[in-house]
Amino acid sequence: MANVAYPTEPLKCWARAKELRQRYYEDYAKAHDTGGLRWAGGAWSFDAIPMGLGPDVYPLTSEPYAASIAFNREFSKRCLEATEAKGYARDLCSYMRNYWGSLLLNEYAFGGPFPRPDFIWQDHICCSHAKWYQVVRDLEDDIPYYCIDVAVGPYEEARDRQHRVQYIVDQMHQGIEFLERATGRTYDDARLIEAVKNDCRATSAWAEVSALNKTIPAPLDEKTMYALYVLGTLHKASRDVADFYEELRDEVRDRVARGIAAVPNEICRVITDTQPPWGFLKIFRYMEKYGCVSVGSLYTFGLIGAWEDKPNGTWGPRTTPMAAGTPMETRDQALHILADWTLSRPEWQHFYSPHLKSQLMLRIAKEWQLQGVMLHYNRGCEGLSLGIAENRLALIDAGLPVMVFEGNMGDDSEFDEDATKNRIDSFMESLGIKRPGEEL
Amino acid sequence: MVTAGIDMGAKWVKVVLLRDGEVIARGKALTGFEQKASAAKALADALGQAGLSADAIDRTAATGAGRKDAPGSPIELTEVTAAALGAVQIERSARTVIDVGAEEGRAIKTTDAGKVVDFAVNEKCAAGSGAFTEAMARALETPVEEIGPLSLQSSQAIPMNAQCAVFAESEVVSLLHARTPKADIARAVHDAIANRIVSMARKVGINEHVVLIGGVARNVGFVDAVERELGLKITVPPDPEFVSALGAALHAAERRG
Amino acid sequence: MTERFAEWYKTRHDYARAWKERTGGKVVGYFCTYVPEEILIAAGVLPVRILGSHEPQSVTEPHIFGMFCPFCRDCLAQGLKGRYDYLDGIMIAQSCLHIRQAFTSWVQHVPVGWSYYLPFPNHVQSRAARPYLVEELRLFKEAVGAWVGRPITDADLDRGIATCNEFRSALRELYESRKAEHPPLNGVEAMLAVVSGQFVDKTEHTTALRQLLDALDGRERRDPKIRLMLVGSEDDDVEFIRMVEACGATVVTDDHCTGTRYFWNNVEPGEDRLGAIADRYLTRPPCPSKDWPTRSRVPHILDLADRWGVQGVVVLQQKFCDPHEADTPAIIAALREKGIPSLFLELDVTVPVGQFKTRTDAFLEMITADDLF
Repeated sequence: MANVAYPTEPLKCWARAKELRQRYYEDYAKAHDTGGLRWAGGAWSFDAIPMGLGPDVYPLTSEPYAASIAFNREFSKRCLEATEAKGYARDLCSYMRNYWGSLLLNEYAFGGPFPRPDFIWQDHICCSHAKWYQVVRDLEDDIPYYCIDVAVGPYEEARDRQHRVQYIVDQMHQGIEFLERATGRTYDDARLIEAVKNDCRATSAWAEVSALNKTIPAPLDEKTMYALYVLGTLHKASRDVADFYEELRDEVRDRVARGIAAVPNEICRVITDTQPPWGFLKIFRYMEKYGCVSVGSLYTFGLIGAWEDKPNGTWGPRTTPMAAGTPMETRDQALHILADWTLSRPEWQHFYSPHLKSQLMLRIAKEWQLQGVMLHYNRGCEGLSLGIAENRLALIDAGLPVMVFEGNMGDDSEFDEDATKNRIDSFMESLGIKRPGEEL
Repeated sequence: MVTAGIDMGAKWVKVVLLRDGEVIARGKALTGFEQKASAAKALADALGQAGLSADAIDRTAATGAGRKDAPGSPIELTEVTAAALGAVQIERSARTVIDVGAEEGRAIKTTDAGKVVDFAVNEKCAAGSGAFTEAMARALETPVEEIGPLSLQSSQAIPMNAQCAVFAESEVVSLLHARTPKADIARAVHDAIANRIVSMARKVGINEHVVLIGGVARNVGFVDAVERELGLKITVPPDPEFVSALGAALHAAERRG
Repeated sequence: MTERFAEWYKTRHDYARAWKERTGGKVVGYFCTYVPEEILIAAGVLPVRILGSHEPQSVTEPHIFGMFCPFCRDCLAQGLKGRYDYLDGIMIAQSCLHIRQAFTSWVQHVPVGWSYYLPFPNHVQSRAARPYLVEELRLFKEAVGAWVGRPITDADLDRGIATCNEFRSALRELYESRKAEHPPLNGVEAMLAVVSGQFVDKTEHTTALRQLLDALDGRERRDPKIRLMLVGSEDDDVEFIRMVEACGATVVTDDHCTGTRYFWNNVEPGEDRLGAIADRYLTRPPCPSKDWPTRSRVPHILDLADRWGVQGVVVLQQKFCDPHEADTPAIIAALREKGIPSLFLELDVTVPVGQFKTRTDAFLEMITADDLF
């Protein structure tokens, strides 16, 4: 096992992913130059719905934007300080604090002043979601604000209790009235239907990409996946993102067919959990020196990916309504499909019980052939760290080695790089994996 | 075969020399700012006791936060692995090892072979380490080695918030101003740190035989507080601060040349 | 007269055991005041709110990550230590993420026969919330009926609603009395009266409240010195309030879920009983986790401050409580604009009374100095 070397090669569509992301942030900033509209909301917002306002409506989703800030540690530090100086607690969501800081400093992470949104279109499952933009309105009043509560319990139950789905659909209908009022535009249902189809295509294709990582050697490593899944958090209902994910899926299928690895010396497969400390992605490279590859996480797979149980008992991409032949001709049908589709999101289930997430993680451990799990106890995100201690207990109970490291996705003062590397060393030692360079 | 284990701790460097599984010497030096020099001193000390020269050592392993600075390009291993190996060598039936050093506390679940099954480390916080007791001893104007025995004279429990060492220190000052007996404050301090350490240890699970190692294990007040919080007797080996160095020396011996 | 409440507060577990013994009824422990107690009472169940015990503990670290609030950990500790071993069931109405973990870990690790997660809308300001909540209440009513072995009738619901309304009305009257220039009771007494009502049989508690109300005129009146209001999260830290009042102040009102938020509004009885209950919970003074998009708490707090003649506000919250932390700067700014000073403090399982006393003294001195000029 000493000198395994799988063939590896860079992703062909890497440049396209970079270009899409760059254009997204530029389009938002420049929207007003051509009479377009800008909106702000969360990575989980129903971005398909504002698309019914026209082709020139551009979102800026706040979590990935804040992660971009966190990646730039100098700017992030200034943002966090600006927020704290305004009296906001340091233990609040670090994405939120970075975002508010960028607003307060009036600096856009991609250059120029912070582009103020024309309206806010948020969704709410974590306590911080709705409060995020309530505070934005404290800082910049008069921005019209709408937020949809999606916290209606686990999908398994909501599917059989239609009033829960209906609550979301009702809010969506009222949200469209809000959008028309806030923008003065007339709503186009055909655009909505097209966007919902894109969302389903994109999120199902991403799940398939993630499922292809069950293969040994893994065609993708998690650090690379971060740069790809982010497009789904930016604009999953756009045609560009849906097309890109289908293109990516085809390329990853090809990598699997040819045995192309992300990490040539893969000997140990793990998953992580929650957002990583964005300023310290190099810890993934540190792990790779041991031949330890993170092949993903419930976070990268299920934050935007749409999944279902496959007939052969495995976990795979959810069948799109188009493939299933579900009619989608009216606004109400499209909204129902969108609500139902989104409620099955894996990364929403643990909000109601950590045990649902533990089951998913154990399933991943089995199907993705893992040797261990590295849990990031992320002080920056109460939503995704929710129940993480119970997940740890459940994984250990099932006999899976677990390592915990504490940190913060968006506040580097809460991450200790040396201590984390030391912990990885201990974990590797406990798994019996030799230190890089040491003879066996 | 002679092996050396060096534990490059935050406060002390500890060295253990092992010949065919038997400890033949120990050395210790304050870490200070010159870690390498301190380690060389502790090692020379141990070699002197054993009457050996440096080239008599077949292999060296280093552990501890400063292990990269250990002399003689040794094999490296982490504190977690070293603590488990050393503790099980001394107490065969140990399954939970609690290691409290100057700046960090950790709990380890181990097999009878000293293999780590699970571990937890207290995060960037003085409240679960020796530094906490030292700070509180300062606030109490009592020498740190006396604070333990003092706490055993206490007659009442006072809850103290130990989430933060800075907060706790000002609590101590408030209690002193309120003329609370020093023994009771000393007990409150030990209860607070024991609460943190036991909380962490419960993460890996408490097994019947708990072994407490690290320099803080010499503090009788702390040991008493841990036992009360756990509701069971624990074992403190002789020379508890040398256990990780012993683990390193054992690790060095296990490696084939 | 208020000793009864203090006694209930101290001996809550003995009380619940005795209640079971006496009535043969079931006891349900609940997390969060969004639980519609009306429906439990309609089924003859005693709802008891699960609260912490304010003692350091070492048992929750394996279950709840340390970034979550001390209150949810203190609550779970009670379960893990077996303090609530008399419960027949536990439940939660969906509110913040923190307390939800106390519930989900309890379900997993503390044996209890029955548990219920009531999905409660967060978007209480939306007109979509009512039909959704009414249906959830119907499912809940059926589940409780099935559990106790007897369907809940309209007459049962009417009784549950009336019992809660009478209890809440009595607490409102008690709070009204604190508007007086010389209030007949202090903040500790008022807090104990409310909090004990969260785990004592409501009918019995209302009787005690009525007796106290009848006796208020004969009570020794207190020079309040500085009139304070408490604003924030769950707070039943009696020692802390006692210390504040000993510094030369009186708490006259609050916005807490262990205070006014719990009892402020009544159910307006109507034919559609579940609709009426839903309306009550949707329009009650909200927890910040449900107070959006409009932050309705700010005008409500200012109104309370105005009507109770508040001179200063202690904003205190459970450490790490994100929903409150998102409201606090706006609340402090709104108070400042009205010329009301505030002091911000964070609650932990135990509070460092010495330090908080220093800060409270300074705060009260500041208010006194303001009054001089």
